[in-house]
Amino acid sequence: MPDAPVPAPTPVLRVRGVHKAYGRHPVLRGVDLDLPAGCLAGVVGENGSGKTTLLRVLAGQTRPDRGTVECPGPVGYCPQETVLNPAFTVDQHLELFHVAYRLPGLRRAYELLDTLRFTAYRHHRVGALSGGTRQKLNLVLALMHDPPLLLLDEPYQGFDWESYQRFWELADTLRAAGRSFLLVSHIAYDTARFDRLWRLKDGRLAAGARPEPRPGPRPGADPGAG
Amino acid sequence: MPPTAWTYFATAARFALLEHVRNRLALVLVVLFVPLWISLGHAVVDHHEVRFMLRATHGTVTAHGNDLGNITGALNAVTLIVGFMMFSVTFKAAAFDRRLAMAGYPRRHLLAAKLAALVVVAVVTCAYATFAVCLYWSPRQPWLLALALACGALTYGGLGVMLGALVRGELTGMLLIIMTSIIDTGLQSPLANPVADDDVIRYLPSFGAMQVATTAGFRDAIPLPYLLLGPLWFTGALLVAALAFRFHTRDRRNAFPDG
Repeated sequence: MPDAPVPAPTPVLRVRGVHKAYGRHPVLRGVDLDLPAGCLAGVVGENGSGKTTLLRVLAGQTRPDRGTVECPGPVGYCPQETVLNPAFTVDQHLELFHVAYRLPGLRRAYELLDTLRFTAYRHHRVGALSGGTRQKLNLVLALMHDPPLLLLDEPYQGFDWESYQRFWELADTLRAAGRSFLLVSHIAYDTARFDRLWRLKDGRLAAGARPEPRPGPRPGADPGAG
Repeated sequence: MPPTAWTYFATAARFALLEHVRNRLALVLVVLFVPLWISLGHAVVDHHEVRFMLRATHGTVTAHGNDLGNITGALNAVTLIVGFMMFSVTFKAAAFDRRLAMAGYPRRHLLAAKLAALVVVAVVTCAYATFAVCLYWSPRQPWLLALALACGALTYGGLGVMLGALVRGELTGMLLIIMTSIIDTGLQSPLANPVADDDVIRYLPSFGAMQVATTAGFRDAIPLPYLLLGPLWFTGALLVAALAFRFHTRDRRNAFPDG
């Protein structure tokens, strides 16, 4: 007796035929993708190719003109622009999102601060933080409820080299724990890190070539400036 | 255990008040601008008696011009400042509030918290403005004057929240509040328009507040229907703001359970 076929695991994100236009300018022209659990996937593309629009559609912030987006669980969305309140401290942001996500405690959030090395800024007002530190908080707010799917739009903009490396260590840990990522990036160096890579071109996703890993930039180089 | 409704409200209200406290420009305006306007109104406006029509009491009233100037100045100051404060926090926190709502923070608790903060701001500002008026003369009903100012402040606070949720540019919202206030208080000021017999005037946002404040200054009546006009304007503005907030924070995916 032949073995029964093993059913394919349910994807944490299924996208079919997503179209989006701004006025007469089409941005997404039939995007399809499946993202399984524990997959670190990347989307690259030129400036203005629609990467951010795609992530906004997937996060539910922008309505597609056509097509469907299905994801069964909660999502962690890190927008490209830091969306924070400059009047509040880091701790006060965590307190608000702790209530929003209905979390039992803040242990995981504090671990993330520690991983990204900005625990010392917990009592600082966001308006007084550097761009890189604000971006770390922007990212922590997307990760602190440990969602199965993470939609990250250039999440390491403004990070120094060490923080950039720590981000990828964190991503590897989360991937090993079964979390899935869809990450928008414009840094060629990143592309070797992904399990799957798509290039967004002419409003559609195409399999992107994965170059061999190159020697990393020098310590201190700005990964967000690539 | 998930947060209770009270936790949602109390947390959001605490942070909404904190935002106001950290809005230094607004605090400076409240502390300095309100007494400055009232003091200048009393010093500069002519002391001679003015006769004007007070619709709330269906009669004419004769009052000193500078006392009247105090009332219109106080109303103009509190409406502008509270309108500015509410617009400023709503506009600046719009994207952040959207993010909180998308993360699961109940929208109605966020809105209720903003409303509670607005009431606190309006009450404190209007009590302070009434105190400043009382330094120069004695209105017949100081408590009613404070209540009338609070109604005007609530109206403009509601307009501020509405504009903060609707307009795209900060300057646009500020200009709209200032221009509305200029038209509003300018047209119905007893000093500028003592007859005030055109029906258009009753549709101005601070019409009820102006009528009640003037009654509080010079008569013993309590014109309840006019007192309710402020909350009516406020409710309408807040309703538009709530619809805009709901529209901006809905999940736009076609097949995704509401998180």
